[in-house]
Amino acid sequence: MTEGAGNGAAAIRVEEVSHQYLPARGRPVLALDRVSLEVREREFLALLGPSGCGKSTLLYLIGGFLPIGAGRIEVGGRAVTEPGPDRGIVFQHFALFPWKTVRENVMYGLAKQGLAKDEQARRAQEFIDLVKLTGFEDSYPAQLSGGMKQRAALARTLAIDPQILLMDEPFGALDAQTRILMQEELLSIWQRRRKTVVFVTHDVQEAVYLAERVAVMSARPGRIKEIVDCRFSLSGPALFKSPEFVERVDHVWNLVRGEAIAAQGGSA
Amino acid sequence: MTATLWRYTPLFLIFALWEAGTRLGIISKWALPTFSSVVAAWFSLMEGGELFYHAAASLMRGMAGLGLAIVVGTTLGVLMAWVKPVRVIFNPIVQLFYPMPKSALIPIMILWLGLGHASKIVLIFLGCMLPVTISAFNGARGVEPVLIWSARSLGATRSAVLREIILPAAMPEILAGIRTALALSFVLLVSSELVIAREGLGYLIGWLGDGGVYTSMFAVVLTVAGLGFVADRLYLALMKRMLAWRE
Amino acid sequence: MARVATGRAHDLVGATLWSVVQSGSIIVVLIGWELLARSGLFTAFLLPTLSSVLARVVEDATSGLLFFDLAVTLYRAVLGFAIAAVAGIALGILIARIPAIHWLFDPIVSIGFPMPKVAFLPVFMLWFGVYDFSKISMIVFNAIFPVIAATVAGTQGVDKHLVWSARSLGAKPGEILREIILPAALPQILTGLQVALPTALIVAIVTEIIMGGDGLGASMIRASRYADSPGVFAGIVEIAAAGWLVIKGVEWLRRRLLVWHQETQGLATM
Repeated sequence: MTEGAGNGAAAIRVEEVSHQYLPARGRPVLALDRVSLEVREREFLALLGPSGCGKSTLLYLIGGFLPIGAGRIEVGGRAVTEPGPDRGIVFQHFALFPWKTVRENVMYGLAKQGLAKDEQARRAQEFIDLVKLTGFEDSYPAQLSGGMKQRAALARTLAIDPQILLMDEPFGALDAQTRILMQEELLSIWQRRRKTVVFVTHDVQEAVYLAERVAVMSARPGRIKEIVDCRFSLSGPALFKSPEFVERVDHVWNLVRGEAIAAQGGSA
Repeated sequence: MTATLWRYTPLFLIFALWEAGTRLGIISKWALPTFSSVVAAWFSLMEGGELFYHAAASLMRGMAGLGLAIVVGTTLGVLMAWVKPVRVIFNPIVQLFYPMPKSALIPIMILWLGLGHASKIVLIFLGCMLPVTISAFNGARGVEPVLIWSARSLGATRSAVLREIILPAAMPEILAGIRTALALSFVLLVSSELVIAREGLGYLIGWLGDGGVYTSMFAVVLTVAGLGFVADRLYLALMKRMLAWRE
Repeated sequence: MARVATGRAHDLVGATLWSVVQSGSIIVVLIGWELLARSGLFTAFLLPTLSSVLARVVEDATSGLLFFDLAVTLYRAVLGFAIAAVAGIALGILIARIPAIHWLFDPIVSIGFPMPKVAFLPVFMLWFGVYDFSKISMIVFNAIFPVIAATVAGTQGVDKHLVWSARSLGAKPGEILREIILPAALPQILTGLQVALPTALIVAIVTEIIMGGDGLGASMIRASRYADSPGVFAGIVEIAAAGWLVIKGVEWLRRRLLVWHQETQGLATM
């Protein structure tokens, strides 16, 4: 990434947030333990950690989908209490409405904003074109490949123009080639329409490549272990072979490795 | 324990309302005898041995018909899935008879087999066989080919694959089909006994109803309902144990 | 898409041809019936010939009796089913969403679903008599449980990510119910309805057999009382035809309502 991180002001402020959940059987589990984090305006931040470290839970809390047990989360200076169109979300398994076509999916959020029908259609088309799904407007999700579904989900979220984009392992269900293409595409969209992005992943290389800062989380109960700056002087495919990129991936990998082993042992 | 009690409280509420409504005369005694008198009638039917006698007759018929249906239906379904000639011969017949409301066969069964056990057993067998056949067929068709290939490459013969791979893999669907058949067997049993019979719970209900002995009739109706429920719960427990490998 | 359409047309021709070939065994069974009945091994009372049974069906059709009985039976079954469907879906949603209603109805449904409700038939006769109201109430009582159970399971099983997506796109609670939860639960609700409709028909026939009056079941049992065995067999054929009509009807409806669903999109995946 050649550009500097956003302008310093906090878009999202997470203060001392803890979260417990009650599994169907057994005792309550502490998923997040007094996590504090600041995401800057128009910054691309990755939340990285082993499975079960609570990174998705943190994202859902920011989204307002789960009640905040202890602590406080502010978005744009206001406390989060429920979901809202200021925070768009993209899920790993797309969560497209399967009974609606691609166009109808993208128009759904626009209709909720009270736009006129033709304005909805115009904007939907704009975003369908942006994610390169032109020609598939009238397809149902079941007719699309995984990558195309994720593009459609991205278009649906981008269309309502949220300031913040929450992404929950969005490329986790895609095959390796599609995933690389989607990463490129996401970066190019982000460079054109700067938004604050919080990107959850367990893929070290993906995190270091995409994000400006990578927040590494510890195994359960989740805490922020270290925040690693991942801005580079290079960009594009050449970056992957550059020594500084390789060295940074190595550093982050070493942070995560211990946690992944702890998570494996801890779950037994 | 308290959780279970709390869960079933609404049922006790219904019985309490029933008792109160009939005692206070809000509900006519002719339409609904008091709950306590129904309970008393149940105990006297038990003591006299009638309830036991008729229940035994009904349960024997139900189990015989359902047992036959399970054995024949499962065999036919699995064979239809994996042996093409069997499928070609039986599929159209299954498709033809499946949508038919089996209660329509009651008069013919009486015509052919009389008023005794045989007509009920065959009716239940014919009615319950098709749901079992179809679920066994679907289950066996849905078995992952890699499982079969693995077994074959490990040296299993064709018939061993059928018994040791396909049947267990199809078991979840077969067991679900049998549950449908179990419910259907009660329906067919009770309705055929209500139409005409010399013994059985359905017969007893009809006989008591015709004689105007409503307290006893309600007692038997509730017994049948309870038996159906208990049979389903026992079957669910059995199913859970048999499918323990699915976690 | 064009390829998909021609593929379907092709399939249709193939399927029709194949079904003719496949009906071989049915033809064999029917011919076997006719020959067996003519062989003299059974009396015409025990096994009338297929031709005489079919002649009776044609006679019933030309006299109009068949259509009257069919209409009466289907009217009861379909009306009972419709009431059970509307009430069952409404109740199912309430049970799934309101804890107090869940508490009240959950044990009733979990006991009512598996119990043999035909046992209550004499009770319904005692309370409501033997006419339409009694028969249709009995049908509703039998058909409503699968609808409730399927609706509860369907609405509770909706992927939470769908609901979250809609909320974050700005949908209000009522809109989420109408626009997300109901369509997402529709496949399962339809499965419940597909159990309920044949149940409604079975119970319609049983009530007609036991309570008498008119309709396919009643006509058949009357024929049986008069020892008119071609009439009984003709009744079975007619009832089977009604069952076939009803089942094909729901299958068609399901395909129409679930165009978006994977099960109807099998050919079109990339």
